[in-house]
Amino acid sequence: MVDWLGPQEWAAVGLSLKVSVVATLASLPFGLFVAYALARWHFPGKQLLNGLVHLPLVLPPVVTGYLLLLTFGSQGVVGHVLNDWGIVFAFRWTGAALAAAIMAFPLMVRAMRLSIEAVDTRLEQAAGTLGASPFWVFATITLPLIVPGIIAGVLLGFAKSMGEFGATITFVSNIPGQTQTVASAIYAFMQTPDGEGAAMRLVVVSIIVSMAALLISEFVSSAVARRMQDR
Amino acid sequence: MPGFLPYICFRGCAIGVMVSVFLAMPAQADVTVFAAVSMKNALEDISQSFQEMTGVEVTVSLAGSSILARQIEHGAPADLFISAHVAWMDRLAERGLIDDQSRFDLAGNSLVLIAPAGVWASRDLDATLPLQAMLGNGSLAMALVDAVPAGMYGKAALKSLGLWQAVHMRVAQTDNVRSALALVAIREAPLGIVYASDVFAEPEVSVVGRFDESLHPSIVYPVALIAGRNNPDASLLLAYLRGVQAHRALRKQGFKMVAVDG
Repeated sequence: MVDWLGPQEWAAVGLSLKVSVVATLASLPFGLFVAYALARWHFPGKQLLNGLVHLPLVLPPVVTGYLLLLTFGSQGVVGHVLNDWGIVFAFRWTGAALAAAIMAFPLMVRAMRLSIEAVDTRLEQAAGTLGASPFWVFATITLPLIVPGIIAGVLLGFAKSMGEFGATITFVSNIPGQTQTVASAIYAFMQTPDGEGAAMRLVVVSIIVSMAALLISEFVSSAVARRMQDR
Repeated sequence: MPGFLPYICFRGCAIGVMVSVFLAMPAQADVTVFAAVSMKNALEDISQSFQEMTGVEVTVSLAGSSILARQIEHGAPADLFISAHVAWMDRLAERGLIDDQSRFDLAGNSLVLIAPAGVWASRDLDATLPLQAMLGNGSLAMALVDAVPAGMYGKAALKSLGLWQAVHMRVAQTDNVRSALALVAIREAPLGIVYASDVFAEPEVSVVGRFDESLHPSIVYPVALIAGRNNPDASLLLAYLRGVQAHRALRKQGFKMVAVDG
């Protein structure tokens, strides 16, 4: 099994997992916050925020990648400042994680927002009248009720991150061992003369990982649903 | 209503014929060229003048030679293929996908090291080139080094100079040579390796040096008709590519002319 993939291919698999885990975990708090804001609050510019969040879903990934390069590249408005603090995104695995996080963000927010909207606000109001602070209401009433939505959002985001390609190759290109994810490795192997074998092996790996993510998500959400019914 | 059914049939058939004629029309009127992306500007000039002369519309699909060859293998509707590397043309020839009789070498090119305009003075590219120091923390932009011709030639050149081992982990590989050019042009990569002809298309970059031709396999652009297409307009374009006007356009974009029979 270890011999089955070459060192470059293992590196791509490891990097994809690292990028996806970091992208998902790092964007989770922001995703939850934005989902809550969109579901519950009324504020000026709400539709604008909604549009911005969904933009990566409808823009061509290459455009998202190019905008990331122009913004977070070493010459970019934001990248320039971050560079001085020693934070570099362009052509690093951190950039791949940033690209994956942004591409996965709309899916994550959508799943969480739907579950927040489905919460019966009368439960929260009841807890409030019994003296619970807003934070305590969120932590003890809202949060447990939206756990299935959070799990769904996290796994969707993870799966999307694993599959992200267009924005990644545009933003951080294709450096074996550093920014070459499974998707960009498959792309590179597909173009290499006689690279079909390696490409096929990575295709199998990516199907296994994506399938596992989906099965785990199904299993966890049905387990959570069952526990909630028992209560 | 005895005449109604035939009437319907006639209408149906007429519409069917019209639709199929309509669908078939662009395929007959056009020539579809699959070409290495480094040919972009030269082919734009050539197809425009060809169209003015003959009225035949040329559609050009540009990408890395590798991806185009793969697409042709899978039945892409190309009439003509211009590859930036003999390997990809040979591969199609082995599979019987090109018309061998029609194949010839359209042009030649050379390889240059580029930097954002005004950063480095030009110098000789030899084994003493301090590539790592010049890169600093940045990356060397190249097309995919094992797949896309510009990247393959570049890797060969750096290997000949004994510089590959030191920088191969620093190479930012792009899907085609023009993407590598763009990374240097927007100053995200301090150095890049592209064709001499690419630099003509981009005022934001300047040439640091030219790789000696002995350092890499010679760069030629073979062109051939795709087998089984039987498109007379494609043959016409192929003949035009052998002519003086096409050669002039190619030379204007920085390509070299190789010794061809025609």
